[in-house]
Amino acid sequence: MLTKYLTEVTAKFNPFSACAKPARLFLTYLPPNARSSGMKINTTLLPRTSAEKSSLLVKFKDGKELKFETDKINIKGVVGECDRHSRQLQKADDLMD
Amino acid sequence: MTRRVTQTAAFCLRRLRYQPSIPQRSCAIAVQNFSTTSRNNATTAAAPKPAGVQVPVDFAPTTKPPSARPTETRKSQMIRTYTSMLRTTPLILFFQHSNITAEEWAAIRRELKKALEAVPATTSLPGSAPVDISSHVKLEVVRTNMLNVALKIVEFHDPEAAAAKSTTARTSRGPIVHDLSQAAYEAINKDVPEDSAYAQIQPLMVGPLATLVIPAVSPAHLAAALTILAPVPGKFPAPKKKKSPGFHDSTCQNGLAKLLLVGGRIEGQIFDQSGVNWVGGIEGGLDGLRAQLVHVLQSAGLGLSTALEGHSKSLWLTLESRKTQLEEESGEKKSE
Repeated sequence: MLTKYLTEVTAKFNPFSACAKPARLFLTYLPPNARSSGMKINTTLLPRTSAEKSSLLVKFKDGKELKFETDKINIKGVVGECDRHSRQLQKADDLMD
Repeated sequence: MTRRVTQTAAFCLRRLRYQPSIPQRSCAIAVQNFSTTSRNNATTAAAPKPAGVQVPVDFAPTTKPPSARPTETRKSQMIRTYTSMLRTTPLILFFQHSNITAEEWAAIRRELKKALEAVPATTSLPGSAPVDISSHVKLEVVRTNMLNVALKIVEFHDPEAAAAKSTTARTSRGPIVHDLSQAAYEAINKDVPEDSAYAQIQPLMVGPLATLVIPAVSPAHLAAALTILAPVPGKFPAPKKKKSPGFHDSTCQNGLAKLLLVGGRIEGQIFDQSGVNWVGGIEGGLDGLRAQLVHVLQSAGLGLSTALEGHSKSLWLTLESRKTQLEEESGEKKSE
């Protein structure tokens, strides 16, 4: 996954519900030095009884925000969507050079 | 001629082995020694078996009983390790770790060890010597899928029930009901009941997991571990910078940011983060909990007796006041 163009990741999930899976797995896709290289990562754990659905918010360098309802999308879909926008940014970057 | 002799002898021996008075193993050895054909043919030839009853599996060394999974692989041995851990350990916390480097692990474990060493040794039974369990508390990375299988085996595979079944394979030493056996495999491949503990913990078994294993339910140790791994301001405050500078080191903080407490398994019950915090907040450990229970029971008795007393007391009071009122009235009338 291209993580170079991400500036902020906000994950909110209830680990006891099945829809937490994409959000949790997305956190594992981030590189080990993500925090020290300037990416903001906020994780909120919902209590077990809460009915709130898990969500994932990804912000890019150009200001674009992607919001995912993780009960409707799997981790492949999330990564695909993020990469699609990252590739656009990468292309623009390459043309600038 | 010799061939015919051995054939008849082998047949007789095969019949003999189903006699209960003769030890099974010696029979098996004898049959094999008399047979001129290969071992496979000899076993298939021993056909007359009663329906529904498994014929004992012979030639099973004590150190390596027949198993449904390949025993040499790392995964199978992991299942065995995890089942024994789950059976013996009452308090396990599950953490998600996302790309924690080895240095960060070392820093986290160092701080955890430091915090646990500060906890005084506790006594589990009154009168016994204090036991220090802090050296046995371990933070370990586990293989999630193997732990998932182990959790199922621990919950759904009952060796005693499986041993009683007639369909379970047997050796001359007894039924094969160990964790890697066919019986265990069949037990875990059924539908998961909704109300089981495994159904609750199943959604947690996602992604990279680490476990904190505490060999006894000791809220003091749990609280000490929580101050490091998942600090809660006010309840389990993180150590001060002056006291443990290593905790506020960037390596350790980076690692801890990537470590998430997702749940816990305490005495077979599944708890979420707030539940784990509640257990960690029990003051004085199990003794404290017992004292709380005694207090609740005592105060309940007190409340009940006062409640029962209350009505008669109020009745008596009303009657008494009415009596004084009447007396006063009659006194007033007399004086008039």
